[in-house]
Amino acid sequence: MTWETKSTAAPDSTTIIRGLVSRKRVPLGSVIYNKLLETLYDEAAALDERRFDDWAAMLTEDLVYQAPIRITRTGPNKDRDVMRTMFHFDDDYNSIQMRLGRLQKSAWAEDPPSRCRRFVTNVRIGECETAGEYEVVSYIYLERSRGDNPENESLTAERRDVWREVDGAYKLASREIIVDQSVLGMSNLAVFV
Amino acid sequence: MLQKSSLVLRDGTSLDDLIMRDSNEVSLRVMTDEELYQHEMERIFSKTWLLLGHESEIPKSGDFIVRDMAEDNVIVARDREGNINVSLNVCPHRGMRVCLGEAGNKPIHQCIYHGWAFKPNGDFIGAPVEREKMHGNDVDKKTLGLKKARVHLYGGLIFATWNIDGPSFDEYMGDIKYYMDQLFCRTDSGLELLGPPQRFVLPCNWKVPGEQSGSDGFHTLTLHRSLMEGGVMGGTAESIYDQAPGMYGVDVSCEQGHSLRCLEAEKTFKMFADVPFEGKSVEERLNLLTPPGITKEMIPQLFKNLSADQVEQLATIPPQVGGMFPNILIAFIFAPRTDGGSSGALALHTYVPKGPDKVEFVNYIFAEKDAPEQMKRDMLQNSVQQTGTSGTIEQDDADVWPVIMKNARGAAGKTMTLKYQALHGHERPEGWKGEGLLYPGFTKDDTQWNWWLAYHKLMSEAA
Repeated sequence: MTWETKSTAAPDSTTIIRGLVSRKRVPLGSVIYNKLLETLYDEAAALDERRFDDWAAMLTEDLVYQAPIRITRTGPNKDRDVMRTMFHFDDDYNSIQMRLGRLQKSAWAEDPPSRCRRFVTNVRIGECETAGEYEVVSYIYLERSRGDNPENESLTAERRDVWREVDGAYKLASREIIVDQSVLGMSNLAVFV
Repeated sequence: MLQKSSLVLRDGTSLDDLIMRDSNEVSLRVMTDEELYQHEMERIFSKTWLLLGHESEIPKSGDFIVRDMAEDNVIVARDREGNINVSLNVCPHRGMRVCLGEAGNKPIHQCIYHGWAFKPNGDFIGAPVEREKMHGNDVDKKTLGLKKARVHLYGGLIFATWNIDGPSFDEYMGDIKYYMDQLFCRTDSGLELLGPPQRFVLPCNWKVPGEQSGSDGFHTLTLHRSLMEGGVMGGTAESIYDQAPGMYGVDVSCEQGHSLRCLEAEKTFKMFADVPFEGKSVEERLNLLTPPGITKEMIPQLFKNLSADQVEQLATIPPQVGGMFPNILIAFIFAPRTDGGSSGALALHTYVPKGPDKVEFVNYIFAEKDAPEQMKRDMLQNSVQQTGTSGTIEQDDADVWPVIMKNARGAAGKTMTLKYQALHGHERPEGWKGEGLLYPGFTKDDTQWNWWLAYHKLMSEAA
């Protein structure tokens, strides 16, 4: 990623990108679709059950993991609302490892841990130009229970992933989390989305 | 004798019962009291200067952002003359929000309800059917503009206040300006905001994070223990309390309630532990350990924009974290990276009140405008990984504050007090050049207590 300075006021063409870009669809119910869907379910289970070693094993070392800021716009620019100049998450493989290492020690934000439930739906898949790589777009609905608070914190987002086939399994090579809130109702993102 | 505060709540409790200046305690009740909150809105948030953003967000004529002065939504817009204006985002006709987007460019802001239109500077243009005088039969158009706030730019930061005839920005800053200049006014092109701020809401009163921004150094040792465990700060998990990294320095403050913690970098961060500073000139020190966000090439700019004394401080014992009263936190920190780099992280937060039990955390992330692209990229990543929403430092703060808030609701809990009794007292270190209230050595409660004294003073003044 090269740096380009942009004002908050002026949107550019990247602010409109959403959903599936690939035109080569992997049809629902096909073998590859099913395997990738199963992988998404396995990933959600690993995170919900806090099996972080299992999750880390699903990541490629060139991972890009980001959650751009969403803002409210009106008029002709009303759909240019994904600000890819600023992020809630801006991570790579090393920084994810740093976060996972922290979770083993004094990370009070997750000690005691949240109880999370990740619902993954609306999965659409396309082939990337690189063989063995798939664009996987899904919706995520994250419900998070914290301490003795009977009210869950929640987050909804679209995830635009690239999963790469490595030794017969799929690994996450990139994830862009497009949150729906311009002001997050979740008090921190100490959990992965 | 301290002069008694005139502020008394309906149940007879006075401000002096809540802010106990003889014992340096604050009643937990201040965090939940609805009546007190309403006074704060009038006596603090309608009176002081508030941070709303950075001029780099709205470079062109007609550019605007929408921000909040406490619970008042405002339009921050650049007019054709290039001036920045702050106007209340409430249509004077029937109270609708005039501007519904968060950012954009508009030469005219027209209310969608009845169509009243306004210039970026807030002036009223007209109502849709001009010949029928839809704005009123005998009303002067000059009186129908959006309510305007007073604006001041400092280092490109946009401040505004509703207190039109109140203290100037320099009076508001006081002695802290000398130190703040070292962060905000040190380069030729100044800072730029890297993108729109992160925003998220926490279920707690604004003063819970607010008082921490009065330079609470002490909490780093335990709440941010993972910084030591991760090997970022000096020491190890086992030696945290022996070495107490980041605890020793000079805390600076002033009666306006602002403060900064000035820390010797080589005593704070492990990676600089072997850097020999003894006997080195200011230039040599700056080259060994450039301040966060600065490149070696930019060092001459420091000498140009700051006084020799200010540069010497920046090279030796730079201000790194602190805050401005009432609701700004400053983190201009050395941020060693997992890949060995250390471009630093420059972040400002505002804690915007949204009711007695809700606060919006707004995280602004900066770089020097003249910094190379790769450095800006690194700094963005550093700041996002350490501060704000997912930041590994501030995740833990966001976890603590709502719990304190819950405790403050209990009938017994609200009778408990916050204690600021570990005091050093003002002491000028030998050779120290700046003014203000100075607290050298191990960080204590003085600066946070000054924050509460500033709170007490404003709350005691009639609205």
